[in-house]
Amino acid sequence: MTQALKHGSIIVADWHRCKDSKEYFSKILHKKKRKIFGLLESPVMPPHVPVDTVHYKVFLSGKSGVGKSALAAHLAGLKVPSTHYETTGIETTVVYWPAKLKESGRVLFFRFQLWDCGENALRRFDHLLPSCKEKVDAVLFLFSFTDRTSFDDLANQITKWNESSGSPVVTMVVGTKFDLFMHCDLSEKDVRGFQETWQLPVFRMGCGEDDDRLDVTAPLFNSLAESLWLQDCIIAGQQV
Amino acid sequence: MMFQEGSIQLVCLTASSGVPLFTRGASRQLPFSIIGSLNGVHMFGSGQGVTLSSCETEGGGRVVWRVFQDSVMLIAVNASQQAGQGVESSGQGVESSKGERLHLQRLLENVWNCMVMVLGQDELVNAKNLERLKRDLRSCFSLVDELLEERRPGILGHLTHCADCLLPPQPVPLQEAVQSFAKAADSEFGCLLIHGRVAAATEMWWRLAPQEIVLLSAVMRALSDSGAASCDYPVFLPQGSPTVAHRLLRFQLLPGADVCVLCGPTPSLHGAESTLVGRFWSPLVDNLRDCLAIGERCLPSSVTLRPDVLALLLINRENHRSVSCMPAPSCAYPQRDPPSPSEARCWELLKRFYIFCMTRYFKQEEAEGTTEEEGGTHQGNTEDFVNGFSHQPLKCYVITDECKSFALQTPQHQLFLLTPLTAPTFALNTIAAQTLSSIIAATGF
Ligand SMILES: Nc1nc2c(ncn2[C@@H]2O[C@H](COP(=O)(O)OP(=O)(O)OP(=O)(O)O)[C@@H](O)[C@H]2O)c(=O)[nH]1
Ligand SMILES: [Mg+2]
Repeated sequence: MTQALKHGSIIVADWHRCKDSKEYFSKILHKKKRKIFGLLESPVMPPHVPVDTVHYKVFLSGKSGVGKSALAAHLAGLKVPSTHYETTGIETTVVYWPAKLKESGRVLFFRFQLWDCGENALRRFDHLLPSCKEKVDAVLFLFSFTDRTSFDDLANQITKWNESSGSPVVTMVVGTKFDLFMHCDLSEKDVRGFQETWQLPVFRMGCGEDDDRLDVTAPLFNSLAESLWLQDCIIAGQQV
Repeated sequence: MMFQEGSIQLVCLTASSGVPLFTRGASRQLPFSIIGSLNGVHMFGSGQGVTLSSCETEGGGRVVWRVFQDSVMLIAVNASQQAGQGVESSGQGVESSKGERLHLQRLLENVWNCMVMVLGQDELVNAKNLERLKRDLRSCFSLVDELLEERRPGILGHLTHCADCLLPPQPVPLQEAVQSFAKAADSEFGCLLIHGRVAAATEMWWRLAPQEIVLLSAVMRALSDSGAASCDYPVFLPQGSPTVAHRLLRFQLLPGADVCVLCGPTPSLHGAESTLVGRFWSPLVDNLRDCLAIGERCLPSSVTLRPDVLALLLINRENHRSVSCMPAPSCAYPQRDPPSPSEARCWELLKRFYIFCMTRYFKQEEAEGTTEEEGGTHQGNTEDFVNGFSHQPLKCYVITDECKSFALQTPQHQLFLLTPLTAPTFALNTIAAQTLSSIIAATGF
């Protein structure tokens, strides 16, 4: 398993707030909202600012209703559905994130493709899970702050994944519906305990309110980028 | 209004025992006792050898029943009052109830097809565990609600059972790309949608039952609206493959431009996306953008429409395709006195006019492959008038206080057209004939 990283050791944290990131973020934003890119499109920088784009496949795992589709939409700046409609197959969502490497000062566009598959569809059709796992780079395990059983089931979920997957992938945990703290079913202590036992980062997300999403989502994106970049470096190092 | 959003209630029960499976629509749910009575009266009929398919309430409401595969009963209820009122102002009031029946019958058929598409026929027909079936049926709600709400006013396929099409300015390269893309994905079934309308498709795609094409388009539209980049959806084909699921792979090429293929076990979504999408579609980005620019007009600029066309629906009766068109508002209706109806209203009026013509004068072709349940009880929408004559009406027009409507049919086409009140009535025939011939001449539709 990849080691837990200190936040901000490889990638500049809060870079989206720095002046020198403006030029890059302007390519993924339009009037403060995220641009939607089709598969034939990507953010384009002027020729004198060459930027590499690195592609990663990220699988969202969690039981039905936990908020996988909502999280994908939230991260990609899309409309978050207010009612729960089961996802009846695999849906992927592409989201770009510019990030700056601390040491070299190099800027990269991270292209995360979030793979979301409805839990009931996964159960009904055997071919979906292998497809989600094919060449996957990272997995986000989701639990909901309003549903204790989803939290209690995390260990089980992670173990199952690890047993059935070959190569290790970047692993993170996301607690959804954090905005619904009134109905919160979990204590900070529970979450901290889990974090210590498993040595996994846990992110708290609320897709309910429609505030400035860059600020809300930046920590998750930067952390994901960092872990994936490090994983790539380790793999590359091993091969040489 | 006749089809006010949310005024329709849908109830699904087991046919044999009347156990409620789900209800959708209308904010206020029908009380359980009423659902029970609706089921009971239908059962009573079957006991007497009578199939109850539709009835009208004193308040102008309408109830439509249908049993599918002897296993599932669907009931659609359109709330009373509203149904009666709005229609009068549209001047087509006489037909409200009959039109309503057509509308609701189509709805039930679509809902059933959509249940089969998501769950497969076996699970619906041979359900052993009702609790499980109830739970699994929840996965259809997204599509069912989409059908009930009719979120896209210019899309009429669910009503016409003809595929909503967009006619691209340069169809040939797109056609070739769809063909070779599908082939490379081990599929014979490929389709390109622009703004949720079919812009190009493989020959085999057109051999799917029209209802299937309409439903697959609806699935694609929902996915497109959600903004997903690509999808791998298991789908059963209600007519072509009700018990074996295929994979619907869909890719968002550009926002609003989606391509899909129906596949077997290969290729994987990841594989198809990384090796095929760019290869076949990157060279066509400009062409796709030209298509997107057409918008709700749905016709290339090579078709010049007369300025007095507010909206039109053209149906090709042979291949079950349709184009609905709203010319760009700026050039189509400058300030008029009285003002022309809004865009949304025009779609509504066009839809009503279509129903009016189809339930009263024009003959309805039931698409081949229509499931013939209950001895064709849903057939007789046109009965009284048409059946009383040996000939077929070719043209028909209606003038209301909002617009003038004109329809004509030829062996191959049906055209439904709205004009502003300022258009002289004697010219309607010419306007329609010219519109039809100019579209056909420019596009070969
Ligand atoms: N307030 C709030 N609601 C949320 C949040 N995340 C999800 N929801 C709601 O929870 C419900 C279920 O979320 P989905 O994202 O559709 O669930 P899912 O995990 O995709 O479920 P399946 O597709 O069935 O596997 C929806 O009504 C969402 O609006 C959140 O962070 N805050
Ligand atoms: Mg989902």
